[in-house]
Formats: sequence, structure tokens, C-alpha cells
Amino acid sequence: MAQLVAIDNKNHLNLKVDVSKAELHGASLHLVPAVVSEFANMAVQYPLVLTKHEETGQLVCAAMLGFEAGENLFWQGEQWQGLYLPLQIRRQPFFVGNADKERDYVICIDSDSPTISQNVGQPIFTENGEETEYFQQAKSCLAQLLQGELENKQLLELLEQMDLLQVMKMEITFSNKQSTTLNGLYTVDEEKLAALSSEQMTILHKAGFLPAIYALIISLGQMHHLIDLKNKMLGC
Amino acid sequence: MNKLTKTVVIVGGGIAGWLTAGRLAAKHKSNTEQGLKVILIESENIPTVGVGEGTWPTMRSTLIALGIRETDFIRECDASFKQGAKFVKWVDGSEDDFYYHPLVLPQGFGQGDLAAHWLSRQGNEGVSSFSNEVCYQEAICENDLAPKTIRTAEYADVANYAYHLDSGKFAKFLQKHCLEKLGITHIVDDVIGVNSADNGDIATVSTEKNGDISGELFIDCTGFSSLLIGKHYQIPFKSCQDTLFIDSALAVQLPHDDAQADITSHTISTGQEAGWIWDIGLQHRRGIGYVYSSKHSTEEQARAVLAEYVGEKFESLTVKKIPVVSGHREKLWQNNCVAIGLSAGFLEPLEASALVQIELSAQMISEQLPQTRDAMNVIGKRFNEIALYRWGKIINFLKLHYILNKRSEPFWVDNRDPETIPQSLQDLMILWKHRSPADCDFTSNNEVFPAASYQYILYGMGFETDYSNTPYVLNDSDFAEEKFAQNKKLINKAVATLPTNRELINKIKEFGFSRI
Repeated sequence: MAQLVAIDNKNHLNLKVDVSKAELHGASLHLVPAVVSEFANMAVQYPLVLTKHEETGQLVCAAMLGFEAGENLFWQGEQWQGLYLPLQIRRQPFFVGNADKERDYVICIDSDSPTISQNVGQPIFTENGEETEYFQQAKSCLAQLLQGELENKQLLELLEQMDLLQVMKMEITFSNKQSTTLNGLYTVDEEKLAALSSEQMTILHKAGFLPAIYALIISLGQMHHLIDLKNKMLGC
Repeated sequence: MNKLTKTVVIVGGGIAGWLTAGRLAAKHKSNTEQGLKVILIESENIPTVGVGEGTWPTMRSTLIALGIRETDFIRECDASFKQGAKFVKWVDGSEDDFYYHPLVLPQGFGQGDLAAHWLSRQGNEGVSSFSNEVCYQEAICENDLAPKTIRTAEYADVANYAYHLDSGKFAKFLQKHCLEKLGITHIVDDVIGVNSADNGDIATVSTEKNGDISGELFIDCTGFSSLLIGKHYQIPFKSCQDTLFIDSALAVQLPHDDAQADITSHTISTGQEAGWIWDIGLQHRRGIGYVYSSKHSTEEQARAVLAEYVGEKFESLTVKKIPVVSGHREKLWQNNCVAIGLSAGFLEPLEASALVQIELSAQMISEQLPQTRDAMNVIGKRFNEIALYRWGKIINFLKLHYILNKRSEPFWVDNRDPETIPQSLQDLMILWKHRSPADCDFTSNNEVFPAASYQYILYGMGFETDYSNTPYVLNDSDFAEEKFAQNKKLINKAVATLPTNRELINKIKEFGFSRI
């Protein structure tokens, strides 16, 4: 669990972030949350799937990086091998704190993050206590995630309302003859999408979700890429 | 004249009225121009009885057919999950006397006779009760666990389930849904007369403020007053009180001690000197009631029994007295009129048969709605056959709970008297002396309780089936080993992964279920 601490320019004046280590946060993730605005970037490399949040049961969008918990096939040689680094990784070590609704959001930092130290990397405050350009960029990354969560929610609500989701059933046999069954994953039902009335299609179009929906569908082709990575890792 | 069915008039609100209206309107597109017109006339002045707070798993398909989201239903009807019934003190009344009738079938049911294997092993070290050895649901119930998680789609399950609900809230919830979504015409008025056509059909019903309301089919959901089928058509009432002795009920509502109290995941039914007490856990309260035979107990004695069960809070609660007139109309469909709900009949709430009868009737009428007056005779005849068959089967199954008891009070002794046991049930008991209840005993398409339910009651109550003439039944011991082991595995998995009933209810309130 991340240890979140609210950032201020008194306690964190000299704090530095080693950006190159942010990727470490994704080293053992097999699913990484994704927001609509990055679907297009993700779809060229990772399968995008829907899954249910462990605690809330709510559907969430995620990019698949491996086939089992702890397995990130894009993490090799202590480095992220993917072309696109998901926002959820890039935002490290910053988080938006549990803001109450009355006040603005609070930016927090994960005090356990391997990226932070007093001497290596980018400072977040100037000597005068003003935010650095780096910190402002990091904040805009968080803003994109917050906005993305809203868009995700709207997209998922529309997909559910229009009954466009289906369970993804997939049994995969790797080159070492081991097989795995993918459970608890969902995706868009192409047939139902094709059968939508023009009124419903217009709703999706006006909401700006058609590219995201097609990205979800097309990205599943990356499953072959993921299997290939796994086979290579198995050395067969 | 072979009139086409254009309008159905339902007299009476309550759960029976709204559920029937909803199923008809949903199926026959009452919210469109070509659709069937469904009129529901409801009196402001007659309170609903609000009987039945336990359902069957069928309620899930009923709610789906009505287009209701499970999350909305659970949030608004104070509902919780029910996974069967626990019968306490029904055998000998001792402190550790209990058995379960869960909703999940025994492992491998229909593939082999696991009951025979359990019977041959019972009493051996490490062998527990029938329901616990063949089914994983008892363990779930004993731990107050839910039948699914927040990640399970709405109406889907990990273990089969039904609901406990607040019947007053449920009636209002159905009404709101029907009026907002399904296009039902709602008339709030008192019905003051029934007007016949020449052929004996009901032509119209007269209301106080809205004049005469006409229709092709009239549905009597007027509860105990049985306005159409009873008062108008004078269809006799067939009592079954010589079989089922319960004729009175005292009910209370007991609020939980705190908002996060555990919610029991099954109906608890506890045998008492002259009847039994139901105990149903909802989100905010428990519904508790004593149903008893007034021939075997005075009301004063009954109050004392209920007070003892409820505990010190009893004095602060309002006790509602409800008559239980066990039985049903000799016919449920007459001319162009059919009775659904209490107007059709009533039985003690053992095994929650009230709501399911409403569901089954409403389903049949919506699926087989006669389109012409000719067709009405055919469907009416069929409806009567099926409904009467079901009443008979339910009465038999309820009686089964009483005949194997070993208690000494007169109520329980009298219940064992063969004179009070229907011949059809006695016939089955003859067969089951030498083999366990099986699907071949229940061959109609309109069965209500499956053979598995009979097994749970028989072997829960200590009935012995004698296999000495057919010892080869036990030859497939590999099958039995596998199924018993599988059940143990499922118990461990369920107990390790399922949330408590309360935890799941909290999550449903906060997040809700997905459709998928």
C-alpha cells in the first residue's frame, strides 16, 4: 500500500523525484487502469479490457500487461519495454488525496515510492517554495486522470445501459503447453454494437465515445502480441 | 360473439395486483399504442395485508421480466438475501435439533443417489448432517454469508438465492415501477358493484367515482375479501385445516440493535408448543411471527411464547394479529375472472409459498393471455387444473414437515395422525421407505418443489430409507466419495471468499451491481 502524505512546501521543500524510477511502480502489474483519453495510444500495444474492481465490483478499464497477478510482460531488463507509458504509471509518485467536496483537491505523494529522495532527480519546489515546472506537469497529469475517470464512468454507463458488454471467455495455451483461462474480463459485444439503432449510435457519437469503443475492440488483437511475449519469456 | 381481449381489469393493489399488472403490461407492451390496456383499480380505504416477506429464487426472474434493476429493488425494499430455511426444534425440540432446507441442490443430484450413501455413512465419525454433507449452502448460512459478491452481475449468483423483503415497501416499489415504466392505467377508487353480461361473464365493475369500468378479463386481487371469485361468483372455499392446523398468527417487527447488525441469510423457523415462529432478517429489522393452532393454544399462551422468543423488547412492539384460513377456492378461474393472491387462497407461511404462487399465476396469465373469449374457456380450464395441482402439492409438502416429528405436545402428536395426512402423501411415503425421493416422483411440468426439497426434509428429520433389498445402490462409492469431497472443497472456498450478508448489502447501497 502506498503511504500518502499531503504535499506542502515546508515539509517537502527539498524533496526530489527521480522520474526514471517511476516505471518501477508498474514492474509487477498485470492490469493497469486506463482512461478514455489514452485508449488510442494504448490500443497499439496492449489489449484493453474491462474488469471489476475487487472492493466495489464496479467496472473499470484496464490495459492487460500479463496473464496472472504479478506478471508484467512489458517489464524486462528492469525497464518498461512498451512504447506508451500509461498515465497511471507516469503519475507516480503523485496522487490526488481524499479531498472533501467543499475544498479543492489535495496533491499527495507516496512517501514509500522508490522515486523520492533528498538528492537525486527533479525538485518539486524552488528554493523559494514555488512549484517547479516539473511539478506543474505532474499536476496536469493528475488532472487528466481525474477527468479520465469521469469519462470512463460515462462510457461504462452508456455501454451498460445499451447492453453492449459481454463476458470475455478465453482459454490460452502457451508454447510450453501450459494453459490459462481468462476470467472476470469483459469487452464490447461487436454484434450488439452493429445492431444498435441509429438513435443510439448518435448518442455514442455525440458523447464522443465511438473512437474509445472501437479502440476497445481493436486492441484485443494485441492479445496475440501478449501471448507472443509470454512465449518468449517461457523461452519456447 | 368471439370478443378479442383488449383490456384487462385488475381489482386490488397490493403485491398480487401490481405484480400481475406489471407482468401483463411488460409482456403485452401496455406502454405502446397497440399494446394491451391494463387497468388497476385500487381502494384508498382498504389496507393491504402485507403477507409474505420471504420469496423463492423465482423472484429473480420475475423482477427481470418486469425490467427492474436488482440494485434498485434491494435498496428500496429493505431486501436481503435468503438462501433457504433452517428448521429448529421441529424433530424432538431439543437444543441442538435443527436441519436445513437450502436452495442449492445436493451435489450430483440426478446422477447418482447421494442420499443412499449418506444414509449408509451417517453416524460415522466426521459425517455431519445430510444437508451439510451434500450441499455447501448450510455452511454459508451458518456464517451469515451472502450468496454472491459485489463483483457478481445482478441476478447472477455464486449460490442459489431468493430474497427477504419488506412487503409494504415492495408493494409501493412495484406500483411506482408499473406506473412510471409500464403504462398501466391506475384508478384509485372503491369497487361498489359487479355487473354481469348475459353469458354470466363480468361485463363491468362499478366504482364510486369513476363509473363502470369494462374489460374482457377481470383479475381478482382483492385479498381476503375475494370480491369477484368469492362474493360475486360464490366459488366455495376448500379448507385444508384438517391437514394443516395453523389458523392464527401473531407478528411483530423487531428493529436491529444497531445499523450494522448481522443479517441472517436464511429464514429461521423454530418449532413451538402449538406451531412455529418465523424469523426473517431484513436490512433494518427482523420480522418475527408465531403461527399457531388455536385448538392447541390460547392467544394468551401464544403471546407468551412469542414474547419469550423475542426477548425483553417484546413489550415495546406492536403485535399484529392475522387470521390464517388455510385453503383455497375450489376453482380459481370462472368465466372471464381469475383470482390471484389471497383471494385465491392462503396457507401458513412455511416454505414461503404465498409470493411464489402469485408469481406463477401472473406468469402463466401473461404468457398465455387468452386473445379471444373462446380461448378464455380453454385457458381457464388449464389454469384451474394447474393451480389446483400446485395447491395440492404445496399442502402435501408443508404437511411433510410435520409428520416425522417426535415431539410430545398435542399439536405435534395430532399432526402425526394418519387421518390428517393426504393419501397422496402417504403413497409417496410408502415408496420412500425403500428409495429416496427422485425426479420420477414429480413428473408434471408444473411441480413446485423438486425431489431434492423432499430429500432435505426427510433426511433432515431423521427419516430412514431402507436399502437392504437393493444394496447394489451403494456400488458407485467412487461417485459418492468424489461428490462428498467436492462439497467440502466448495464449503471451504465459499467461506473463504464470500462477504457477509451485511457487507454485501452495504456495498450494494454504495456501488450497486453491474448488469454483466
